Amino acid sequence: MSPSQQPTSTNPSSLKNQFAHRFIRALKTLNHTKTGAAHDHNQMYRRSIRVKIASYTAMASVVGSRRAWSRAVLWKIIKRSRNQGLLLRKRKRRNPNPKREDFNPFRNSGQELKLRKLVPGAETMDSWCLMGETADYIKCLVAQVEVMKTLVDLYSIT
Amino acid sequence: MSTRRSRSRQSASRISDDQINDLVSKLQQLLPEIRTHRSDKVSASKVLQETCNYIRSLHRDIDSLSDRLAELLENADPIQASIIRSLLMQ
Repeated sequence: MSPSQQPTSTNPSSLKNQFAHRFIRALKTLNHTKTGAAHDHNQMYRRSIRVKIASYTAMASVVGSRRAWSRAVLWKIIKRSRNQGLLLRKRKRRNPNPKREDFNPFRNSGQELKLRKLVPGAETMDSWCLMGETADYIKCLVAQVEVMKTLVDLYSIT
Repeated sequence: MSTRRSRSRQSASRISDDQINDLVSKLQQLLPEIRTHRSDKVSASKVLQETCNYIRSLHRDIDSLSDRLAELLENADPIQASIIRSLLMQ
């Protein structure tokens, strides 16, 4: 197996359950803090941003500190709520496996750079970790989308 | 693994190739399109490209689902909403 294998994440259905719990709880809070009929465009846009952030936060908190990407997401949220727009320099993480020689087969490939921009927290990790993080990130995104689709279907029943 | 590491530096690229292929094939399993096609080697850069595209499309899905959820929550009947919640919580 790979030298840096993280403990495997939870199976997909338990992941979806845990995510659903936290996400719904967050939505409930969102609903209560809202004022009455706000149908203007700006209000709706802000609401949808809040739903989106709640979704990513819920998933990242389910995964917790197990993964670099979830840590990066949570850190970003904490920073944002603390600083309200002040720009902070990103803290550079130490390589967690300093003994292993730096694994950079794709290092200069444009594709890998694009991938590093998409996966949270991926900028400073070596290619090995990047692959593992990407795989986990994709699994969690898929679970997130499935739960949200289910919710939309449920709420659409009038 | 340790025996491979004790080899000379010249074979460093050989180690990397094996490991790359292993990782890339694992990643390939997750991608919806490539998985359905032949299971033999797709180039690594193609896999990376498909991965990027897939992640972007998932992000877009989440964006549009958030929009719809925000809309639906706005109009949701509060009793219905709590019934749904209690059903899902089980």
